[in-house]
Amino acid sequence: MDLSLTPEQEMLKTAVRRFVQQEYPKETLLQIASPTEPTPTEPWERLTQTGWLGILIPTEYGGEGGTFTDAGVLFEELGRGPVPGPHLSSSVLAALTLLEGGTDEQKREWLPRMATGEVRMVAAVTEADYGWLEGDVRLTAKQNGNGYTLNGAKAYVYDGETATHLLCAARSEQRNEVGLVIVPANDPGIKTRHLPGFAWNLSEIAIENVSADSFQVLGGVLAGGWEALEKAEQKAIPVLCAYQVGGSQAIYELSVDYSRTRHQFGTPIGRFQRVQDQIINLLNALDAARWTAYEALWKLDIGRESADSVHLAKAVGSEGYYEACNFAHEVHAGVGSMTEYGLTLHTAASRTLYHYLGDPKFHRHRLADALGL
Amino acid sequence: MDFEPQYTPEQEEFRQEVKAWMKDNVPPGIVHPADPIDLTEEQYQLRRDFGRRLGAKGWLWATAETEYGGGGLDVEHAIVLEEEAEAAGLTIPPFYDSGGRLGGASIVVWGSDEQKKFFLPPIFKGEVRTWQLLSEPEAGSDLANVKSTAVKDGDDYIINGQKVFVGSSLGCDYMWTLTVTDTEAKRHENLGWFMIPSDLPGITVQPMDLLISGGESGAGSGVKNTVFFDNVRVPAFNLIGGHNQGWKVATTHLELEHGTGGKISRNVVVDKLFDYCRTNNRRGEPISKDSDAREKLIDVHIEQEIVRLLQLRNYWMRHSGVTTTYEGPQASYLRKTLGLKMSRHILDILGPAALTFDPKLGASEGHMEAHSRAGIIAIHPGGTTDIQKVIMSRRIGIGREVREKAGALS
Repeated sequence: MDLSLTPEQEMLKTAVRRFVQQEYPKETLLQIASPTEPTPTEPWERLTQTGWLGILIPTEYGGEGGTFTDAGVLFEELGRGPVPGPHLSSSVLAALTLLEGGTDEQKREWLPRMATGEVRMVAAVTEADYGWLEGDVRLTAKQNGNGYTLNGAKAYVYDGETATHLLCAARSEQRNEVGLVIVPANDPGIKTRHLPGFAWNLSEIAIENVSADSFQVLGGVLAGGWEALEKAEQKAIPVLCAYQVGGSQAIYELSVDYSRTRHQFGTPIGRFQRVQDQIINLLNALDAARWTAYEALWKLDIGRESADSVHLAKAVGSEGYYEACNFAHEVHAGVGSMTEYGLTLHTAASRTLYHYLGDPKFHRHRLADALGL
Repeated sequence: MDFEPQYTPEQEEFRQEVKAWMKDNVPPGIVHPADPIDLTEEQYQLRRDFGRRLGAKGWLWATAETEYGGGGLDVEHAIVLEEEAEAAGLTIPPFYDSGGRLGGASIVVWGSDEQKKFFLPPIFKGEVRTWQLLSEPEAGSDLANVKSTAVKDGDDYIINGQKVFVGSSLGCDYMWTLTVTDTEAKRHENLGWFMIPSDLPGITVQPMDLLISGGESGAGSGVKNTVFFDNVRVPAFNLIGGHNQGWKVATTHLELEHGTGGKISRNVVVDKLFDYCRTNNRRGEPISKDSDAREKLIDVHIEQEIVRLLQLRNYWMRHSGVTTTYEGPQASYLRKTLGLKMSRHILDILGPAALTFDPKLGASEGHMEAHSRAGIIAIHPGGTTDIQKVIMSRRIGIGREVREKAGALS
């Protein structure tokens, strides 16, 4: 038994933390989040130069061939920002989906370019009638020679706007099979619309008469594509959980600092047991999320049956980040609601990630299934 | 990272040795009453006998030093022993005892060589059972406010006072306790920590009538008592850590009791609840298939997994020498709140069957009824849930000028 990180993982952690502090300070993150200011592109370019986007991509495809725990360490630190994507959606979820279901040719075509960040591939799965089950996919794929023509609309797509390519879930009209089709995001038939409001990097993507040849269909045929996505999700989820843990860790530290420096009634507010309760609840949510996430990552690394741990981690992780933000708002009161303070960057992220790849209720049901209840 | 112990071939061989030994030495006929109050004298002696056999092998307190009667084994060996005892339906130690894990740890850290040689071997060999005597009528959460006194008289101390919520059924051989040794000295610098033979004149043990007394199945305490000290003469040799040094000595076992020791065994009540719901029907199908029950069971599972992981983390931290701060009281807080919530979930899932140990209309041989009571009282032993939060706050550096350090651990 050893719950410590390896020296290499500690070095990675330190390096990523320094990178996030330098390249994604709060001012930059606020600028990216602002609907009116132009988004700076330099930080993302520097992120692509680190090689970290290839952390889970095998070395034969130009990646780093790291472990899931390595990826957890990386994404926990990115989550402290929270550094916006499409890092996880492309280099983790889409890359793992290609590894699960892509042909050799597809892997050689896409993975090296995803490792360098040249290609940002985002899975477009959910639709207006929101859900993460196969039955929720309605977008149609109509046979067209060797390929398909796609029609329909994807909704609440996370990181959809920043994608160069979409990994689009589609249902065949003829055989009712659900699979995945890779389409360039700049296809004239694709219209991406940013969803305004509290949503964090969500968009609607309308797809009208977009054709794809068989090389663009994951695995060459639609059948089996959905299974590849589900297998990839099972591996991407604990990495996402580590990202949520990083967010909770950052706001825990923010809340502790604030409770020690903010004075009311002539004393630091951290002296008040009511305030302490909020911080302790936050810490409990954080640690629950941390250890459920890392146990799932460990199981993935050693190839152990991990379904129960993965569902547990996402149920606890999504709930944890959501609640952690609430506790932090209780501690900070008015100051926490000021955009410039930075807490709301996490609050927004926590709400969107609550649902991304399945909400706690969804995973609780799957957990019950995994336990044979 | 690695979330489970790795065993060397030598340790696996040790497991086979332990398995074979358990087969020959676990006394036949041991029963596990749902409420430890039903443990009979005869059953208790079976457990004590088994404890002595473990002790003779150095397997009762496997990681304690051989010099003091322990096994001198490493953590992995201790885990093998715990796992094999669990497989045989027992815990180590197989009876309620506050000597080996808590009091013994304080003596190891603070006792003189002579004291260690005298007090520790009987504890670690399982020859004596020891109770901890901490709470008093005026000293619950505020333990440092104890009022019982120990007054120096020649080579002895004369102890007077009253302890409450202590011990178990069926008696003990030693009691360790905290009393005022200097009525003039400052708080925390006025206490003495004593090992007291329980057969000294002037000691009266009176069982209390409580909702239930804590402890896990089989190794629970059965009852809690009031213990009166009426001019009890104790040799000064039995004072551990020196005059007015008692609080320091107590921090060692208090920290362990607050959960820093960690543990890796399963929660027996959770297992029994799941088994019951899988194997008993309601409206023609297993209770576990009922959608409401399923949701509650998942609640229990998730919270139990969180407690398991945090206890595992603490276990690892303790045994690998990583400095702990808030982790002990955190695991304790979550374990206690889980216990209380579980008693609610059990009530929701089972209905009034959760409230009786009637063989016909109760559930799981009375274990669910026992937990319905135990979940309530479990929030206070070793510090209430609120006290755990107070300690956590100090340890994370809020609530006080100076960040509090965790007590010294062996």
